[in-house]
Amino acid sequence: MSRYLLAIFSVAALLASLLADPVVAADSVDSVLQAENVALSAGHAPLAVVDDLAFLRRASVDLSGRIPDSTQVDEFLSWPTSQRRVKLIDQLLAGERFADRWTVFFSDLLRLRSNVTGGSALTAYVHQAIQQDMPYNQLVRRLIATNGKANNTPEVGFVLGDNADPYALASVTAQVFMGVRIGCAQCHDHPFDVWTRKDFYGMAAYFGKTRRVESTLTRVVYTTESNQTTVLWPPEGETEDVDRKPMRPRFPFEMIAAGKQLAFIERFQQAVVARQQQRGPAGPSVEDLLAATAEKARQRTRAAGTPELDVATEAKSTLRQIDVKGSLYRHSALRDQLGELVTSPRNRLFAQSFVNRVWKELVGRGFVEPVDDFRTDNQPSHPRTLDYLAEEFVAHGYQFRHLVRMIVSSQAYQRSHVAADADDLVREELESAFWATTPRRMMSESLYDSIVVAGHLFDYKYPDGQNKRVVTETVRVLVEPASPKVAAVTDGPLNEQPLGEQEVETEMRPETVAPAGYALEDAIELDFKALLSKRDDVDIERMRVMSKEELEARRMMMAERAKRPVSGKYETRLVKREYDDNPKFSSAFRMASPAPAGHFLRVFGQTARNELGEQRDPDPTMRQALMMLNGRLAHEASRVGSLEPLHALIAQGKFEQAVELAYLEILTRKVTAEEMADAKELLQAAATPFQAIGDLRWVLLNCNEFRFLP
Amino acid sequence: MHMSCPGYRMSRRSMLATGAGASLLGLPVRELLARAGSVGPTRAEHVILFWNGGGMSHVDTWDPKPGRPVQGEFDPIATSVPGIQISEIFPQFAQQMQHVALIRSIAGTQGDHGRATYNMQTSYLSGPNLRHPGIGSVVVHECENQGDLPAYISISGQAPRASYLGQRCEAYYVANPGDKDPYLAFPEGIAEVRGNRRLDVLARYNQKFARQRGKTGFQATQTSIDDAVRLMRSPALQAFELSNVPQQTIDRYGDTTFGRGALLARRLVEKGVRFVQVNRGGFDTHSNNFPAMENHGAVMDSALASLVADLAESGLLKKTLIMMVSEFGRTPRINDNAGRDHWASCFSCMMAGGGVKPGVVVGKSDEDAMQPADRPVNVPDLHATLCQLLGIDHSKEVMTPLQRPMKLVDNGKPVAELLA
Repeated sequence: MSRYLLAIFSVAALLASLLADPVVAADSVDSVLQAENVALSAGHAPLAVVDDLAFLRRASVDLSGRIPDSTQVDEFLSWPTSQRRVKLIDQLLAGERFADRWTVFFSDLLRLRSNVTGGSALTAYVHQAIQQDMPYNQLVRRLIATNGKANNTPEVGFVLGDNADPYALASVTAQVFMGVRIGCAQCHDHPFDVWTRKDFYGMAAYFGKTRRVESTLTRVVYTTESNQTTVLWPPEGETEDVDRKPMRPRFPFEMIAAGKQLAFIERFQQAVVARQQQRGPAGPSVEDLLAATAEKARQRTRAAGTPELDVATEAKSTLRQIDVKGSLYRHSALRDQLGELVTSPRNRLFAQSFVNRVWKELVGRGFVEPVDDFRTDNQPSHPRTLDYLAEEFVAHGYQFRHLVRMIVSSQAYQRSHVAADADDLVREELESAFWATTPRRMMSESLYDSIVVAGHLFDYKYPDGQNKRVVTETVRVLVEPASPKVAAVTDGPLNEQPLGEQEVETEMRPETVAPAGYALEDAIELDFKALLSKRDDVDIERMRVMSKEELEARRMMMAERAKRPVSGKYETRLVKREYDDNPKFSSAFRMASPAPAGHFLRVFGQTARNELGEQRDPDPTMRQALMMLNGRLAHEASRVGSLEPLHALIAQGKFEQAVELAYLEILTRKVTAEEMADAKELLQAAATPFQAIGDLRWVLLNCNEFRFLP
Repeated sequence: MHMSCPGYRMSRRSMLATGAGASLLGLPVRELLARAGSVGPTRAEHVILFWNGGGMSHVDTWDPKPGRPVQGEFDPIATSVPGIQISEIFPQFAQQMQHVALIRSIAGTQGDHGRATYNMQTSYLSGPNLRHPGIGSVVVHECENQGDLPAYISISGQAPRASYLGQRCEAYYVANPGDKDPYLAFPEGIAEVRGNRRLDVLARYNQKFARQRGKTGFQATQTSIDDAVRLMRSPALQAFELSNVPQQTIDRYGDTTFGRGALLARRLVEKGVRFVQVNRGGFDTHSNNFPAMENHGAVMDSALASLVADLAESGLLKKTLIMMVSEFGRTPRINDNAGRDHWASCFSCMMAGGGVKPGVVVGKSDEDAMQPADRPVNVPDLHATLCQLLGIDHSKEVMTPLQRPMKLVDNGKPVAELLA
C-alpha cells in the first residue's frame, strides 16, 4: 500500500516538473522569438499587447468558438487584473466548448466529412479525443494504422476518407502529418524538391495491402489487409506488367539518428512513463493500447494476466470480436510501422508541421507558408522559435492543450494590430516578425455562433405565442404522375431512412440537391455521443447465414425503395401557415460538416474538404454580404426580444444604458462618445426605441469590427 | 487563389489601364499580360451548359444504333436535317436540328464518376495537389461582366469551384429555378427606408473601422456590400422570378425543375449573364435504363426545343452557345438489370448556337457505339472549342498560388469542323 502511494507521489512530482508553469514556457516562446528577431535584424519594436477586453474576445473566439456574453465579461472583469488572462486561459481550456471549436480545426486538417462512409463517427471520435486529451501522436497512429468496420471502429474513417487508395493515402500522410507535398512525385520526380517517384511509391507501399471491402447488399464497409500489395514498381505503363514487382515500403523522411539522445526526446520518454503510471501501476502501456492489434493485444493480455483491469478487459473484448469474425478485419503491420515512424519524436517534421498549423490558426500566419509546404527552398521564417515550440510539444507528450496554452499565453499571440497610418512595408515587416497581430476574420463557425450569442438566439427570446404570424407559401403539388414506370436505380448509396417510411412524392431532383432559402442558415446538430455508441456488430455475419431466398427478397425490397415518381404534372398552390416567430439556433460546431454548398458556413469559408491542402478562403464575397444583410440569422439576432435584459432597459427609457449593453454584448467593449451620438441619431430616425436598438445591433453585427478579431 | 483576383471585382482592363496596379498588387507581369490577351473574333458571348450528371446514355439519345443488339427500346427518328437521326425520346428537339451540331466520337478516358466529372468540367485530370477551375469560371475570368447580374449562375445544383481563378469567378447558386431568393431583398418587416438607413450607417461604421485598422482587406468587405446592394436594387433581378411569366410559356418548356431551369437560363442570358449551368441528375442508369431515359426525354425534350427555338427567334442564339454534356456515356451492351453501365471510350455531346456550325454531325462511332470510328474528339477539345467560340485563348497561362503556370484548358484543340 505504501509503495503504491509512493509511486503515486513520485508520478505527481514528475508530472509537476514536466508540466512546467505555462507562463514561464510562454515567456520562453517570446524570448526565443525576440532573440531570433534580433538575429534576423527584423528592426522595429514589438507592439504592445491588446487590452484586457480585447484579449477576452480574442481568446474566447479562439478557444471556445464564440464571443463572450455579458455574464462572462462581468466575471472576467471581477478577477484581479494581474490574474485575468491566466485564469481565462485556464477556464477556456477546461471548458466544454474547447473540444467543439478545435474539432473544426482537426476536421479541416483531416478532411473529415460527415457525408463519406464512417465520416461522422470519425468526427465524433476526434471530438472525444480532444475532450479527453488524447496525445496527438496517439491519435495519428490510430488513424494511420487502424482497420475495421466503418462507424464501429471510428478511426478507420480516416483511411476510408480516401477509399483506402494507397497513392492518395501516401500523399495525405506526408502532407497532413508532415507538411510535405510528395504528391507531385506520384507522376514525376518533384520539380522543386528532393522527392522522387520511388520515394512516393515507397510511402504508398505501406498502404498497398489494405483493402476497402463493401458488402453489395448491406453496404457495410470495412477495411482489412490482403497478402498481396497493389503497389508495384516500376509504375504502370513504364514497363511490361509482368516485370512490375511489389514495391518495398520505405519511409523517405529524415529521422534523428537512433543513437542520438536529445533532451526533448528524453523528456518525452519520461512524459510517456509518467502518463502510463498515472493510469495505473500495472496496466498495459499506452503504446500497447494504441497499437490495439489483434495479435499484439492477444499476447499482451495473456502475458499480463490481469483481467480485472479495464484496459485488459477492453483488449479482451476486442479479441473476442476478432475471434468471431476470424480474419474479417485483419490488422495492418505495415501501417502500424508507418504510424510509428510518422509519429516518432525523432521525426521532426511531425511535430513541426503540426505546431506550425496551430500557430497559424491562432496567430494568423505560419512560420512556414503554405503550412503544408515544408521543403528546403521554403524555410521557416523563424526556425528556432518553431523548433522550440515543436520540442516543447513533444517533451510534453504531444499534449494538444499544452501547445495551445503555450501559444495563447505568449505575447506574440496577444499583440495589437499595426496602426492605420503605417505604410504597407512596415505593416508587413511587423506582422511577419510577429511583432504585430495579423488581421484575422473569425472562422465561419465562430462567426455563426457569435451572432447567435450576441443575439440571444441560443434560447427563445420571446414568450410563447407572442409573435404569431401567418405566412403564405407556394407549394408545388404533383397532381398527375407522367409515368408509373420505375425510375433509374443509381449506384450511389441507398437512402438511409427506415424501410417502412413512405417516400414523399416529389419531382425527382438532381443528385446535387442543396437546401434553398433560409435553410441555408440552419444548423442541425450531430449527436457525437450517439455516433460513438457501439452498434450491434453482427450484420456482416448475419448476411452470411441468410438463405438465397432471403437475400433475393432483400434485394427486391431495396430496389423497391429506389422507386420514385420521375415527373408529371405539377400545380403551384398557395398555402397559408401560421407560426410562432420565435426562432432558436444551435451551435454551428456540432453541425454535420461540411455544410451543404451555399450554406452560411460554406459561404464564409468552410471548404468541401474534398481536396488535399484546401484552405479556407478569407476573402469577402457578395454572397457573404447578401447573407448577412438580408439573412435570417442577422435579422433575428438584431431584433430585441422581450425576454432580453436589453428589452427591460429600453422599456424603462434607459436608452444610453441599452446602447452600452448592446456594444458590450456585440463588440465586447465600451461605447465611445461619438458612437453614443450616432446611436442617438438612430433613435431620432427610428419609429420606436426598440427599432433603433434593433438597427444599431444590425449594424454592429454586420460591421467589420464584429467579424475581425480585435 | 486570391492572387489572380486581388481587387474584388476589379476589371482587368481598368487595372491595366491604370498601370499602377502592377506594382501595387505585386502581380507577376506575365499574368497581367496574359489577362489582356484575347484572340480571334468574338462570336459567342454567353454559354448555357446543361450538365447531365451520372453519365447519360449516348445510344439512347444522340447516337442511336437501329437494328443492332445494343439498340435498346428506342427507335431513331428523322430530324429537320435530312440524314441526321436521333432517338425518339426527343421528338420536338428533332425539329430544331437545323440549329444543332452533334459530336458522336468523344473519346473519354475516365470511367469513375468523380474523375470523369472533374475531367469534363475542368478539362484536366484530377491530381492530388491542385484543383483546377471549372470551364464556367474560366469563361467569366476572361470575359467582362455584362449588366448587374452575377456573371456565372448555376441552377439546381452546384457548379465546379473557381479554385485559383478566385472568388469572383465562383458561380452564383440558384437552388430552385423560379423561386424567390430571400437573400436578394431586405428581411420581412424591414421597410425600404429603414433598410437603406441601416446600410448608410453600416457604411460609415466600416469606413471608420478601416481608418482605425488600416486599409488591409477591409475595403473589400464594403465593396462586396456595395455589389450586393447594387444587385438587390437591380431591375434585372426580375429575370429570376418566373411568377410573372405566363403559365403558357412555362408549360411550353415543361413545368418541371428542368423546364423552369432552361427558361430561367434564357432569361438570364438575356440580361447579360455570361455562363449559366443547368444541372440535372439521375442518368446513372445501371438498371431500368429505358423507362428512366424515357422520362428524361419527356422532361428535357420540350425544354431544349423551346430554348433553341426562342433564342433563334430573338437572334440571341448567334451569341449564345448551348451545350449538353455528361461525364461519360453508357455501355452499349444492356446488362441483366435492363440497365447500362459506365462507358467512357465513346460518347456524344450536343451543341447549338454561339457560332457553332448548325446541322452537322462531327465524328462517328463504330457500329455498336463502342469506340470512335472516325475523328475521335478528346475531352479537352470540347473546352478548347468553347473557348475558341468565345474568343478566349485556351492556351493562355494563369498562375496558381504556388506560382505554377497553368493553361486555361489542358492542351485541347478546337474542333475545326464545328466552327462556322
